[in-house]
Amino acid sequence: MSGAVYGGDEVGALVFDLGHNTVRAGYAGEDSPKVDIPSTIGVWLDAEDDVPTTRYNIGLLAIHVWRPEMELVSFLKEGMVENWDMFENFLDHIYNNALRAIPKDHPILLTEPPWITPSKREEMAELMFEKYGVPAVYLAKNASLAAFANGRPTCLVVDSGATHTSAVPVHDGYVLTQAVVKSPVGGDYLSSQCLSHLIERGIEIVPPSMVAWKEVTKPEDTPVWKKRIVPPNLTESWNNFMIKEVMQDFQASVLQVSDVSYDEEIVKTMPAIHYEFPNGYHRDFGVERFKIPEPLFNPTTGAKAGIQPILGVGSLVTTSVGMCDIDIRPAMYGSVVVTGGNSSLQGFTDRLNRDLATKTPPSMRLKIISAPGVSERRFGAWTGGSILSSLGSFQQLWVSKQEYEETGKVIVQSKCL
Amino acid sequence: MASGVTVADACKKIHEEIKRDKKHRYAIFYIKDGKQIDVELIGARNEEYEDFLTNLQAGGAGECRYGLFDFEYMHQCQGTSESSKKQKLFLISWCPDTASVKKKMVYASSFEYLKKALVGVQKSIQATDLSEASIEAVEEKLRSTDRQ
Ligand SMILES: Nc1ncnc2c1ncn2[C@@H]1O[C@H](COP(=O)(O)OP(=O)(O)OP(=O)(O)O)[C@@H](O)[C@H]1O
Ligand SMILES: [Mg+2]
Repeated sequence: MSGAVYGGDEVGALVFDLGHNTVRAGYAGEDSPKVDIPSTIGVWLDAEDDVPTTRYNIGLLAIHVWRPEMELVSFLKEGMVENWDMFENFLDHIYNNALRAIPKDHPILLTEPPWITPSKREEMAELMFEKYGVPAVYLAKNASLAAFANGRPTCLVVDSGATHTSAVPVHDGYVLTQAVVKSPVGGDYLSSQCLSHLIERGIEIVPPSMVAWKEVTKPEDTPVWKKRIVPPNLTESWNNFMIKEVMQDFQASVLQVSDVSYDEEIVKTMPAIHYEFPNGYHRDFGVERFKIPEPLFNPTTGAKAGIQPILGVGSLVTTSVGMCDIDIRPAMYGSVVVTGGNSSLQGFTDRLNRDLATKTPPSMRLKIISAPGVSERRFGAWTGGSILSSLGSFQQLWVSKQEYEETGKVIVQSKCL
Repeated sequence: MASGVTVADACKKIHEEIKRDKKHRYAIFYIKDGKQIDVELIGARNEEYEDFLTNLQAGGAGECRYGLFDFEYMHQCQGTSESSKKQKLFLISWCPDTASVKKKMVYASSFEYLKKALVGVQKSIQATDLSEASIEAVEEKLRSTDRQ
């Protein structure tokens, strides 16, 4: 080892996995992240002082408070940091409050999406070294980490998160960036589809914190409840976020992907699921359980307003494999790794299996691999990064502060492959 | 991205002995102390594929391993009735579904180093369950690269 290589392994590294729904953060070597914090943060103007200052509310509790004029916003766009100022405040919160860790004591491994741009990577390295004074940095592709965590250095990773679903070919641990295919459809899309569907049915969605009391009513009866007195000028973005949370629970509890292409006659015979909303309204949900998520796999089935999928999940995979070198196509179909919170949707992997079975060339074997648990799918990349960065052998791979100072921020392009 | 694990010279030596000298039938490798890939076991020339599979899994359902095997099968050349014996050396990574994420992670992120170190291996196979490591599955994969 040369002097430039990061050599201090006395203190453990930290691992941050950035997602649009949450950021997972914790200590390398542990099985799961210490904290899982919404990446949506509250922004408001503090006019108490003479000079109004922008303040940030960060963390699950802080974003739920009734603060007039507080907007809920994300610092990410397409999985990459867009608003660096907000991101810094977010990091401060993680270091100071959530983990109570001193930045300069810990090397840091951060995850990044397969389509990360070179300038975003350099900006990240610059921030971590210059502002936080960390001793070492590593930027890891989330898809590579998920591939390894499933025991498959060569595979096609299907990641369905909150804001998108992507098909990412990974070969010997390296993302084949030119063959990555993604669609702006994931859990958030389903949340908005659920909401339009429920509104159309005349069902009012009220966040739980707005309900002062409610009475027990019969199924489908008009709910009897009283609204809490809340400040008048809570923002629309705040309200939308609170409603999205209700929808996320609804979609995880009620929705199911039909195992073959949606057919109303077939799904009619499937059991209904009873669901109670925060204001006490409750009823059975039958065909809509299957109808709402169908566009995820079959975009022609007429989704409601908003962003629309163009390629179903199966087509994302076949399109991506089609862009790979012909020699590795069998290996891709032979190892389709499914990850991301939205893939925990009931029936997701079964349907993907069915759709791909009809599209995989007969000469190739199809195999779908996925972790069984919801948390493993959501934390797969974090756990992968945690294990990797705690290996003794990994120490030489970090970009050390000294290397950064000698070579400049471009060092991340050659060291973090 | 990879783990930074190194490959012991013993791995390359055994590989040469199998490839060039046909001295052994197979070898099984493991990662020692999370730092270096080393030889765990060597299979004699007269051992069968089944012996190899057994030894690959000898660590139990929670363990991962790599294996190198000199596989033989009959190949029929197209348009002739002649068939010839083919020998192909393949590398396999065995990461069973039942292994811990930690084991899978370490073995999967280090496989590349072994592949690079053992120059001339014709095929590498990833297996997470027995259907992918069975003699039939392996033969099918090896044949798929033959000229028809
Ligand atoms: N059990 C479940 N069933 C269905 N959907 C679920 C379940 N658990 C989580 N989700 C959905 O998964 C999404 C979050 O997934 P994940 O944590 O992978 O996203 P992320 O990485 O933060 O976002 P992105 O990948 O878009 O940056 C949310 O939309 C959530 O509603
Ligand atoms: Mg994600």
